[in-house]
Amino acid sequence: LASGCIQVRAPDKPIEINLNVKIQQEVVVRLQQDAKDLIQNNPELFPE
Amino acid sequence: MIRTYSRTAAMAVLLGLGAITAAPAFAQDAVISAAKAAGTVGEQADGYLGVKGSVGADVRSAVDALNIKRRAAYTDLAAKRGVTVQDMAAVTGCQTLASRVSAGQIYRIGAGEWQTKGGGPIALPDYCATAAK
Repeated sequence: LASGCIQVRAPDKPIEINLNVKIQQEVVVRLQQDAKDLIQNNPELFPE
Repeated sequence: MIRTYSRTAAMAVLLGLGAITAAPAFAQDAVISAAKAAGTVGEQADGYLGVKGSVGADVRSAVDALNIKRRAAYTDLAAKRGVTVQDMAAVTGCQTLASRVSAGQIYRIGAGEWQTKGGGPIALPDYCATAAK
């Protein structure tokens, strides 16, 4: 019976929910040019 | 540096004219540029502008307005590419951190503390690895 038990451990690190980004590398590669064009074509959205 | 001074000067002129209350896009950008130079507003890795500490209502509303416009642009592109708005925003965030933050300006990665950019490039999050300058 004991073998059927599942041990649930609390995660070692606190779960971070704020502002944190999880993103696939291939998505970054695919969207990179779009992001560059967006900034270049809409400078008013990205004031320095 | 010269650029920063001229922007600050431009902003002072706008303030003098009382143009801020009308808040056309160029005035909002001037408010944000001045706040960036002052170290109270900075770029975040999530693709949006953030505010450090407490700022005036004019700065707050300019940041909010610009972030709404950015989100609209991200939403539009994300729909075209079949990705989430958050992903589109984050990839743009890699670019803004790599190329749109000047030395002395503040920036934030994840939920971390605000940092001030030094002379060298910003250490980008791992997922930005391929983001060219």
